[in-house]
Amino acid sequence: MNIDPKTVDILIKFGINLLIILIQIVIVLGIALLHVAYATYFERKVIGHMQVRLGPMRVGPHGLLQPIADGVKLFFKEDILPAKADKAVFYLAPVIFMAASMINLSVIPYTASFVIAKINVGLLFILAMAGMGVYGIFISGWASNSKYAFIGGLRSSAQVISYEIAMGLSLAGVMIMAGSVNLSEIVKAQANSVFGIFAIPQIIGFVVFTIAAVAETNRTPFDLPEAESELVAGYFTEYSGFRFALFFLGEYIAMLIMSSIAAVCYLGGWTIPWYILKVLPFLSYVPGIFWFLMKVYAFIFFYYWIRATVPRYRYDQLMAIGWKILIPVALANLLLTGLAKLLL
Amino acid sequence: MTAKELVNKIFFVEILKGMALTLSRMFSHAVTIQYPTERRPIAPGFRGQHALAKNPEGKAKCVGCGLCATICPSQCIQVIREQGKVARYEVDVLRCIFCGFCVEACPYGAVVLTENFEYSNYSKEAFYLTKDKLLSNWDKYMAGKKGEDYFKKFWHPMSDDLGTPQGQAVFRGRK
Repeated sequence: MNIDPKTVDILIKFGINLLIILIQIVIVLGIALLHVAYATYFERKVIGHMQVRLGPMRVGPHGLLQPIADGVKLFFKEDILPAKADKAVFYLAPVIFMAASMINLSVIPYTASFVIAKINVGLLFILAMAGMGVYGIFISGWASNSKYAFIGGLRSSAQVISYEIAMGLSLAGVMIMAGSVNLSEIVKAQANSVFGIFAIPQIIGFVVFTIAAVAETNRTPFDLPEAESELVAGYFTEYSGFRFALFFLGEYIAMLIMSSIAAVCYLGGWTIPWYILKVLPFLSYVPGIFWFLMKVYAFIFFYYWIRATVPRYRYDQLMAIGWKILIPVALANLLLTGLAKLLL
Repeated sequence: MTAKELVNKIFFVEILKGMALTLSRMFSHAVTIQYPTERRPIAPGFRGQHALAKNPEGKAKCVGCGLCATICPSQCIQVIREQGKVARYEVDVLRCIFCGFCVEACPYGAVVLTENFEYSNYSKEAFYLTKDKLLSNWDKYMAGKKGEDYFKKFWHPMSDDLGTPQGQAVFRGRK
């Protein structure tokens, strides 16, 4: 058989591209999993110190090996299936939940050149995947055949769906300002804008987004789906061992994703505002990934800070905040942004 | 709703105040004591495990009068005398409430609560203190100057000043 040299060339190029993408995936997944392990450590330390405690101190120096000990413990725990649970769905739910949050890692632009999938609908993709995650939550609650899990699943799906609207509307302001839903384009539009970051002109949207992001990831003070005092652990009450760890992983990766969206859409991603560069020109030598990670971890710290401070809302308060305050405010912000874009 | 309340609500003033507090606490010193490596100083007059006091000759001060066993609210002290001597003196620590009444009741300062509080164990026998164990507790925790000071200061034995207090209306001899 005679192969056209052009075809060989295309095939080689395709192979190289595939290899690069695979390597990128391995890097991102490895770092994300390590991030989750140490995000739990970071959280326990931050909340501990805020409550005038020390946090983990026993395993390794200053408890640094605690996440590894936790992981080993979870891995070797017994996998329990409730007697009347729907087996197939019960096993499927944590996978859906984790996959729906992990898949978002592929569209986040970490630096100008490091994106696994540079797609033009990045922001919409993330919003859609956030909607997919609800399936994992809801069917885990349903398949467990337990009232705690069921109520947790119901609460979580109602909450996530309500706050998704507010979040989508607040992000629509960013889309209008950037004129694109490609996450890399949004960062570039911010770097070229007057304020350098969208958090200043879009301050209302940013506040709405921050609140909605906390609610969207089921974190305190909106952690009703897993309210310990009422529902044991909410939708994953019946899960143990590694399946529980999958939910845990999904939740922490969802937090990472939300923080990354905040960094990309409002805080300028891997860039820093031009007026800071003008004052301190040497900062341009710092690699972009540093600024990106700094913004992401600042936002994650904010998550922990909120958790250490604010008590849980009541369910009617949660719904009232979502529907009566956040959505109208986000709509007003959208209107203002649209008008400003038209007139300026 | 007044204007001030509205402003407070819009700018999350209450929540921001709370967050400022938690942030300031984050940089304060933690109150945690890392127990096995780090210990809380024992409060003066701490009421820990029991001991039977020894006199300077090294014999037990206890004469077996049984006042401690009588006053004990949880009835965990057992004193048995045989032929004018204390045959058995036993304390069931698991039932003791550490009220210290036995120490107060003893006219000879023969029983005392030491500063020892770390005697957890897996067997019940270990918490049933016989006379030998109680006497060895004295050597372990109350021997030397420290034990003596502790004993004098906090468990002031009644035998030191047997008699009626000055304020008490009582016949004190003819003038």
